[in-house]
Amino acid sequence: MSAGLNLLLVASAALFSIGALGVVARRSAVVMLLGTQFMFVAGALAFVSFARFGLGALHGTAGATMALFAGAIAVAELAVGLALAALVYREHRSFALDADRG
Amino acid sequence: MPLIGALPQPITSAPLVLFVYLVLILLLGSALASVLVRNMLYGIGAFAASMVLVALLYLAIAPFLLVAVQLLVFTTVSAALLFGLLRATTGLRTSSVGRLSPEWIVGAAVCAVMFALFAVVLGATGWPVQACCAVPDSLGAALGNTYAVGLAVLAVIIGSAALGSGFLLMAPTLPSPRGGGSMSSRSPRGGGTRPVNR
Repeated sequence: MSAGLNLLLVASAALFSIGALGVVARRSAVVMLLGTQFMFVAGALAFVSFARFGLGALHGTAGATMALFAGAIAVAELAVGLALAALVYREHRSFALDADRG
Repeated sequence: MPLIGALPQPITSAPLVLFVYLVLILLLGSALASVLVRNMLYGIGAFAASMVLVALLYLAIAPFLLVAVQLLVFTTVSAALLFGLLRATTGLRTSSVGRLSPEWIVGAAVCAVMFALFAVVLGATGWPVQACCAVPDSLGAALGNTYAVGLAVLAVIIGSAALGSGFLLMAPTLPSPRGGGSMSSRSPRGGGTRPVNR
C-alpha cells in the first residue's frame, strides 16, 4: 500500500466536487463562500501533489509557492465575499442570495 | 543527460501511508459536513477543522513553511473572518458556560496536552516530515528570489481586498443592522419565521 500522486489527485478532485456542491446546491452566501474556499484548497493540493510526486518535482518549491499564493488569494476573496454577505444580511435579514425573490 | 530524472517515489512507509489515508478521509468528511450542515456555526467549525487537516496533509508532502502558513495564517484568518461575520449579523451569542468552569479547564488541558504531544513527536523524531524523504526545504529563498514579483502582486491584491471589504462594510447608503437577532428571522410577508441557513 502506498500514497502517491493518484491518491492525492483523487482527493483533490473530490474536494473540488464538494466545494462545487456547496456553491451550486446551497443558497446561503456563507456556505457558497466556504465552497469556493474548498475549491481553492483542492487546486492548491493538486499543485503540491504534482510538485511532490509528479514530473515537475525537480522544481519542488514551485508547487508549494503556488499553494501559498492560492491560499492568500482565497483569504482575500473570503474577506470581500464576507463583506458582501454582511451587506446582503443587512438588506434582507438573511444570508440567502435569492431572498428578494417572491 | 536526461532532461527529467527519475520520478519521485510514492510514500511507502506504512505509518505515513496510514496517516495520509486517515487525514484524507477526515478531510473529505469534514468538508462534506461543512457544506451540508444546516447550522452555520457547526459548518464554520467543520471548515476550520478541514483547514487544519489540510495543514496536516501538507505536513507529509510539502515544505514545513507551507504547513505553518496554512495552519497559522490561512486557517486562523478564515475562521476569524467567518466568526466575525456571524457575530456581526446573526449574533454569535456568548457561551452560557463560565470562563473558569470545569468544562473550559478540561478542554484547555486536553488541547494543551495534545499540542505538547504533537510538538514533542515532531521535534524529537521529525515524523512525518523526515519520514517522507526528500522534501525541498528552500521555499523561503524561492519565494524571496524567484517569486518576488508574485509576492508584490499578492501584497497589492490582499491590500485591495482589505480596503474593498472595509469600504463595503462602511457603505453609508445601506440600512444599518437592526440589532442582533437570532438564527431565524420573520418573513417579509409576516408569515411566521423562516430559517436563515438554507
